[in-house]
Amino acid sequence: MPKRQSSNKKGKQSNFAKLSIFQPNKYKFKKSCPLSVKGAPEVNYKNIKLLKKYISENGKILPSRITNVSQKKQRELSLSIKRARNLALL
Amino acid sequence: MNLYEHTIIARQDTSPSELKQLTEKYSKIIEKNDGEVVKTENWGLLNLSYLIKKNKKGSYIHFKIKGNGNVVDELEKNEAIDKKLLRYLTVRVKKFDLETIYFGKKEDSEKKESAKN
Repeated sequence: MPKRQSSNKKGKQSNFAKLSIFQPNKYKFKKSCPLSVKGAPEVNYKNIKLLKKYISENGKILPSRITNVSQKKQRELSLSIKRARNLALL
Repeated sequence: MNLYEHTIIARQDTSPSELKQLTEKYSKIIEKNDGEVVKTENWGLLNLSYLIKKNKKGSYIHFKIKGNGNVVDELEKNEAIDKKLLRYLTVRVKKFDLETIYFGKKEDSEKKESAKN
């Protein structure tokens, strides 16, 4: 349990950084799409751990200009996030 | 024939025997309509991220179905009436992913992580 708490804190910090336009380099997402690389995890409404990276603290979907996700993957992401929301998983 | 993933959420106060009845009931409906249940998964009692009909938790049951569209019609018709259920979701997929288990297994890995620390 203690590890969980610490990771939650980290998540909040980085989430906060995500939302500002002039974010420090530390918190920036990769320049290339992190989901199009070989061996990248499959975007799926059941994969909550992955989806949680791409929503803000308030549960909004982050824009791709911040996360640098490709257009194709962003469409998949938004669809699967909405499915997960319907099932009350997010 | 299409492949479908079908998830239903039951109320938090349904007992395990009732859950079994529910799964049997819906698998029977599937079989009646020339469908085939490839796999059923019980994700267990999970926390809902928001209240649904004053329920904080829900029992998730996941079906992987092979069949025609009328199976889904029949299923959703019955589920919309069922008072034991909170939600349902059907997704058509091109391929079944039978190997990765997102629920249940996740808890194990978390436990392992905490055990390491």
